[in-house]
Amino acid sequence: MSVGFLLIHARPQRAWSAILSWFLFAAGLAAYLWVAQARHRENPEDRVTPTLAQMATGMYNAVMQPAEEDEAAPPAANFYDRLSHSMLWRDTRATSRRFLLSLALLIPAVLLGLHMGLFPYVGVFFLRFVLFFDKIVALSLLPILFIAFGIDELSKIMLIVIGVTPTIILDSFNLTRGVPPEQIVKAFTLGAGDFDVAYRVVLKQVAPRVLNSIRLNLKAVMLFLFAGEMIASTDGLAYRIALLRRHMGMDVIIPYVLWVALLLFLVDFAMRTVNRKLHPWFHEA
Amino acid sequence: MLWRFSTLLLLAASAFAQKPSFTVGWSVYAGWTPYHYMNKSGILRKWADKYGITIKVQRFDYAPSLDAFVARNIDACTMTNMEALDMPAASGVPTTAILIGDYSNGNDALLVRNGLQLKDLPGKKMLLVEKTVSEYLFDRAMTLGGLREQIKRVRMINTSDSDIATAFIGDANASAVVTWKPMVSQIAKQKGVTSLFNSSQIPGEILDLTVVRTDVLSRPDGAGQKFAKALAGAWFETLAQMSTPGAAGDKVLAAIAEGSQDSLASYKEQLGTTKMFYTPKEAAGFGASPELKQKMALVRQFCFDHGLLGANTKSVDDVAIRYPDGSIQGKPDRVRLVYDLGYMQLAAQGKL
Repeated sequence: MSVGFLLIHARPQRAWSAILSWFLFAAGLAAYLWVAQARHRENPEDRVTPTLAQMATGMYNAVMQPAEEDEAAPPAANFYDRLSHSMLWRDTRATSRRFLLSLALLIPAVLLGLHMGLFPYVGVFFLRFVLFFDKIVALSLLPILFIAFGIDELSKIMLIVIGVTPTIILDSFNLTRGVPPEQIVKAFTLGAGDFDVAYRVVLKQVAPRVLNSIRLNLKAVMLFLFAGEMIASTDGLAYRIALLRRHMGMDVIIPYVLWVALLLFLVDFAMRTVNRKLHPWFHEA
Repeated sequence: MLWRFSTLLLLAASAFAQKPSFTVGWSVYAGWTPYHYMNKSGILRKWADKYGITIKVQRFDYAPSLDAFVARNIDACTMTNMEALDMPAASGVPTTAILIGDYSNGNDALLVRNGLQLKDLPGKKMLLVEKTVSEYLFDRAMTLGGLREQIKRVRMINTSDSDIATAFIGDANASAVVTWKPMVSQIAKQKGVTSLFNSSQIPGEILDLTVVRTDVLSRPDGAGQKFAKALAGAWFETLAQMSTPGAAGDKVLAAIAEGSQDSLASYKEQLGTTKMFYTPKEAAGFGASPELKQKMALVRQFCFDHGLLGANTKSVDDVAIRYPDGSIQGKPDRVRLVYDLGYMQLAAQGKL
C-alpha cells in the first residue's frame, strides 16, 4: 500500500483488494454472531437471532424434508427423491415459474418501446398513457387486480407486469430515440424497408442496453413477486417467509433470504454473460 | 418526523427521568380499542400517577406488536391466548396474562358462498390467514363437524388480512373464507354469502388478553407490580365507563370507536359478538374456572400440531402454562405462560 491510499491514483495491491472487499461481509457476520450470542446468553430459547447451528439445522430440514402441507417422504427415499420433494425445492419452483413468466412478458414491452420510438403514430398513441401508467403505484391497485384477475397466478403476474413493464417500455423507447437518425437515413438510402430498420438496425443496437435495463429491474420484479406471494398464495418462497414469520421461524427465514439473494445474483450473472456473448462489441456495462 | 419524535423522546426522558417508565402496545380490535380511550381520556395517566410511574401507550399493527413484545421493546401488549403461547412464550420470553379482556363470541367466522356445507369444502378454495386463530377456528369447525380427516383436502390460500375482504369478494372461485370483524361484516353483506361457523360456537377458546413480560413484573424495585396494578385499575375504570347504559356510555363508546376510525353503530355491532368481561369479578371468575384449562389444552395442542411452538420444540409440554390454582399444563420447569388473577382480584376487591 502506498502513501495516500484514499487518493485517486492509489493502486491497491491484490491482497489488500481481497481483504478490503470481504471486510464488510466479515464485519456483518461478526456483528450478527455477537448479537445472537448475547441474546442467547440472556434467553436460550431466543428465536429472533438464531445461531449458525440453528440456521444450518433449519435449512437442512428445508432442503431434506417436505413442506408440512405435503405428504411425508417415505423413509426409503433416496437423496435425489428427498431433494425434489423438499420444501425448498417446492417453493423455489413455484417462485421461479412466476419469475420467468414475468420476465418473458417483458419482451413484448421492449418491442412496444421500440415501435413507439420509431413509428410516430404508435408513439403518439401510447406515450402519454404509458408515462401516466408508469407513475401508478401498482400495489395500491390490488383490489382491482383481484376483481379482474382472481387471486391465483394471473393476478400475481399482472402485478409484476403493471409494476415493471412501463419502466421497460419507456426505457426502450428512450434508447430507441437515442439511435442517431443519420443511421436510419443511411439504412433507408441503402434500400432497407421500415421493418429492416426497426429490427436489423435499431433493435440490434439497443438490445444490449435494453438487456441491461431489464437486469437492473430484476429486483423490482422480485419485489412485486414477493408482495404478491405474501398477500395471497399457496406456495412460493415469500409465502413460506410470510408463514414462518407468524411464529418467528427466523432459523429458516434468514437462510431463505440468502437463498433468494443467491438466486437473484445468479440470474443477474447469467444475463450479464449472455449479454457479453451476444453482443461482444458492446463495452459499456 | 424523526426529529420531532426524538425530541419528544428526549423531552419525555428528561421530564420523567426519575419515574420508571413502561410501554403498553395495542392493536385495533373491538376488545382492545378501549386502550385508545384509556390513554386519551387521561384515565391511564391518573392511575400511573397514583403509582408513581409513567405508562406510554403505543398503537401497532397486530403482527408488529407481537414482534415488538418478543423483542422486549415493549413491556405489555394485547394479544390472544394463542399468540401469547406461540409467540412470546414459545420464544423463551416468559409471559404473564394479567387481564382477561374478552373472548370472541362471533367475531371470527367461516363464511361460504352458495350455501355450501362443511362437508362440501374439501377440494374447494378457502382464503384465510394461515397459522392464526382463523385456522384454529376452521380446525375446530371441521373437528366438531366430524370432518377432521378432510381438513388437509381443503385448498387453503394464505391471504393477508388487509386484502382478504376484497380478495374474497373479487374472486368468485373462492368458495370459503375465514376471517374476523370488521372484515366479516363487510363480506357477509355480499349476496349469496352465508356464515357456516363462528366463534360463538366455541365460546371462551379465543381469548383476548393483556400480557406483561414476567421479568417486568418481577423487577426488583417493584415498579413492574405497580405497572400491572395501574393497568388493571385503568382498564376496569374504562370498562365501567363503557358499560354505563344510556348517553353517557354511548359517548365513551364513540370515543373508543374513534381509535379504530369506526362509527358508534359499527363498534356496537362488533361488541355484540365480543363477550367483554366488564367487571373484574367476571374476568377473574372466568380465569379461575376449570373451563380455561380445557380450552387452553385445545389451543396448545393445535399450536404444537401446526409447528407454531417452533421446530425445535419436541413436545407440547415444553411450553408449559401455569394456572391461578397453581396447576401446570406441561413440564413444571418450563413454565412460559402464566395466568395471574391477582390484579383482577385486587380490582374486584377495590384494593387498587
